[in-house]
Order: sequence, then C-alpha cells, then structure tokens
Amino acid sequence: MTKLAQWLWGLAILGSTWAALTTGALGLELPLSCQEVLWPLPAYLLVSAGCYALGTVGYRVATFHDCEDAARELQSQIQEARADLARRGLRF
Amino acid sequence: MATGTDQVVGLGLVAVSLIIFTYYTAWVILLPFIDSQHVIHKYFLPRAYAVAIPLAAGLLLLLFVGLFITYVMLKSERVTKKTQ
Repeated sequence: MTKLAQWLWGLAILGSTWAALTTGALGLELPLSCQEVLWPLPAYLLVSAGCYALGTVGYRVATFHDCEDAARELQSQIQEARADLARRGLRF
Repeated sequence: MATGTDQVVGLGLVAVSLIIFTYYTAWVILLPFIDSQHVIHKYFLPRAYAVAIPLAAGLLLLLFVGLFITYVMLKSERVTKKTQ
C-alpha cells in the first residue's frame, strides 16, 4: 500500500470514529464535558500540527550553525568569478 | 549557533507557537472541565469561535497562496511575452 493510501485510510478511520461519536450514532451517553471536548477535536489537531510545524521551523532557524569563514570565502569567490567573467566579456 | 536576527526571529516563532498552542489547548481541552462560574471563562471567547477562527484563518491562508501563485504566473507570462 502506498503512503498516500495509508494516510487516507488512517484519516478515514479516525474521521469516521469522530463522526460516529459526535453524532451519537453509536448510542453512547458521553458526559457533557467529554462531548464539549470531542466536537472541536479535528480543528484542535490541525491547529496543534500547525503550531508544531511553526515551532520546529523557528527552533531550527535559531539553532542553525553559521559558518562565518565559509560565508566570507564564498563571497570573495563570487567577486572573483564576476570579475573574471566580466573580463571575458560576459555582461551582467 | 545562528546569530543576530536569525536567532531573534527563530525564538520569536517558537514563542508564538507555544503561546498559541497553550491558549488553544486551554480553550478546547481544559475549559469544559472547569466549573462554568469560574472567573477564567472571562478570558476565553464562546466555544464556537474555537473552530470558526482557525477555519477563517485557513481560508485566508489559501486565499493568499492562490493570489501569490496567480501573481507569479502572470509575471512569468508577461516576461515570456516580452522576450518573444
């Protein structure tokens, strides 16, 4: 089974479980506070997934190792290459 | 470690995501179990907004993505038309 099929199966199973529980189709009598938590659950999972993604991106940006020497070396190499190509006649 | 603005922006994103996550968790998960007379309910909107606001934000995001794609496509079309 492909990854897409797996994901769709998982979503379908979780979605139908949630729908069955919120519409009361299973005939369970959940306490009112549990029902109150249950019905926004898909929105909650989406928002927490978004927050996790945002936080991970921010954390990786903050802890990315800069290489000052390599950056300077690269910039000087770029200047060198531009001068060389301009001398050979390439117009930027 | 990253330096300067990178660190500030990165940690800012982490802080924003944590704030949103804790507020939203308290709103959706914790509030139904707290007695409705408690003063903390004053700090949260009615529960219907817990789904309406992320939904509206998601639609806005889709709108901006669509507008950006349209803009880029129109610009590239104009560039190819100019070089023809």
